[in-house]
Amino acid sequence: MIMSEIAIKVENVSKKYKLLHKQQEASDSFVGNLTRSIKTSFKGHGHETTEEFWALKDISFEIKRGDRVGIIGRNGAGKSTLLKVLSRIVKPSFGRIEYTGKMASLLEVGTGFHGDLSGRENIYLNGSILGMSKREIDSKFDEIVAFSEIEQFLDTPVKKYSSGMYVRLAFAVAAHLDPDILIVDEVLAVGDAAFQKKCLGMMENVSQKEGKTILFVSHNMGQIASLCNKGILLSKGLVENQGDAKDIINLYFNAGGANKNNALTYDDNDKKEYVIKGIALLNSKRELTNNFAHNESIVVELEIQQNKYLNDVLMGVQFYDVYDKRIFTSQIIVSDKFENAKTRKFYLQVPPNTLIPNNFHFSLGIHIPNIQLIDEKQHVCAFTVYDNGSEFYKYNNSDIGLVFVNCKWNY
Amino acid sequence: MKTVITSTDKSFLNISELKRYGGLFKYLSLRDVFVRYKQTWVGFGWSIIRPLINIAIFGTLSFLMDRKVNFVDNFLMVSMGVVFWQLLSTAISDVSNSLVSNANILTKVYFPKIILPASSLLVCFIDFLIAFVLFFILFVIFKGLPTWHFIFLPLVILYGLVFSFSIGLIFSTASVKFRDVKFILPFVLQILFYASPVFLSSEFVLNLHMPDALKVIYQINPFVFIINAFKFCFYGCFQNFSITYMVISFGITLLTLFASIRYFLNFEKSFADFI
Repeated sequence: MIMSEIAIKVENVSKKYKLLHKQQEASDSFVGNLTRSIKTSFKGHGHETTEEFWALKDISFEIKRGDRVGIIGRNGAGKSTLLKVLSRIVKPSFGRIEYTGKMASLLEVGTGFHGDLSGRENIYLNGSILGMSKREIDSKFDEIVAFSEIEQFLDTPVKKYSSGMYVRLAFAVAAHLDPDILIVDEVLAVGDAAFQKKCLGMMENVSQKEGKTILFVSHNMGQIASLCNKGILLSKGLVENQGDAKDIINLYFNAGGANKNNALTYDDNDKKEYVIKGIALLNSKRELTNNFAHNESIVVELEIQQNKYLNDVLMGVQFYDVYDKRIFTSQIIVSDKFENAKTRKFYLQVPPNTLIPNNFHFSLGIHIPNIQLIDEKQHVCAFTVYDNGSEFYKYNNSDIGLVFVNCKWNY
Repeated sequence: MKTVITSTDKSFLNISELKRYGGLFKYLSLRDVFVRYKQTWVGFGWSIIRPLINIAIFGTLSFLMDRKVNFVDNFLMVSMGVVFWQLLSTAISDVSNSLVSNANILTKVYFPKIILPASSLLVCFIDFLIAFVLFFILFVIFKGLPTWHFIFLPLVILYGLVFSFSIGLIFSTASVKFRDVKFILPFVLQILFYASPVFLSSEFVLNLHMPDALKVIYQINPFVFIINAFKFCFYGCFQNFSITYMVISFGITLLTLFASIRYFLNFEKSFADFI
């Protein structure tokens, strides 16, 4: 089909909102507040000013049929607004959108579910809200029920469901939608891990086998990386970049890391025998960063100055998670590494696929074991390990420990 | 199938699109019908009990005020007004609330929004049918079968629904932005109730000592014509019938219908921005 190569074409789309500001005169008493609110209610809107807010600014892009596009951006970047404009819930202030085929949008799990209705009734109601015809729902009804794993409770009002059952039922309906373009907003953030995997798998299957186009917003980069082949990075209402999903995910993390510390230098006094002069975090390409993909190595560069030689001096680096739980330590004897130089750089390399996607920091110390602490720096250089499509997205919120160890298996 | 969205899109009643959303209309209506009396002990009995209570109250009141009519006739007359008014007034209020009470759907999926007020209208009608059957049985017991004018009944009901729907549609559109509607609506309904021949016959009202101007205003109210027409379908005689006021009533209804649909469609695309 040549005509439908492009599934969605977005041209110069902008969306403006008006923000209402009420100018508040300072008043800290209840009576003061009361009289002011009475005054303003008589004066009408005299104290209000409106400000224009552009949620989307001149956005253009094209999506090919069969692409699975992840839309990435910080809170307030315009992701949800974009999805709402695309799914015709709100009207763009300027611009034009063109798409081919039937579109369905999943901006919420279980839109229109009514607590007093039974699971069976809600399947029909929710299905029709999402744009399925009665015949479609009829033909897929058994599949939906099987997928949701709630056969037993089909005739129970959904208000009596556990939240897990509720979500499963809602997803089961959504997963059986049969549009040409599917828009999904973060809804996979709920539900248990196994079920999430089932949903992602279903979406992926459908897209690859049947050439469906998927637009997917999530803050879980693991999900995006595993589901999407293309990415669009939004920032403050603008398209900052678009391309292959993995590149866009990397860009997103690096853009966000700019204000974290990734290089520290110290000018401490030189009375100590060994002094830590500099600490830097490098990725495998020797670039300063705080963000590391799970499958790249993390390099800690340590610059040490030797003022006076001592025997058997060790340098240890301890890695901590966000709760300050010590994860592991690595150490090296430094005293015999200087030869004639006054300063020396040491590189500690954490092998790839070790730390699980999360935030970490480390501390380091130079010491003679059990005898003397020479110099130390605590809790320096926070960094993030992100998931760029590892096995981990499947376990979204469950605890899988802090390190992944590539043990040797025999069989 | 190609869809184009632009910033200059205008809403219109797209019949082929509405047909595609027929299923949604059906399930939204079914939802409201099923949910209306959920977790009540009496259940659908309420659609009979509510008008019965109103009939008891206003039947007594009107009997006390207008002793000329005999007791049974008076009660039948009042129940006719009350049963029909219940349809018209719940239609106005339910249609008015239909957009705001479905805000959660409105901001999450696209569909032609007119489905919401339309489905709530259907629900009121189903409620009315239950009470109507009861009333009809009572009427047959006391008065026998209605006259041949009964064939006009569907038309009269349709006419009443169209006018109520138009009023409700204006309120529902306004309520997207102004929740004041919630507070104004009960008063509007109250005024309309007293300004229509629900429990006091229009004959009685027009014979009261009051300025002619008020009497004109009273008769301009399309509900006066609508409710009298409803009674006409049973008795075959039309109280205070006048061609002039019939035409005026038609005119007002058409105008309201046209204006309400225009108003609704003008704002339909921005509902999700304001609700």
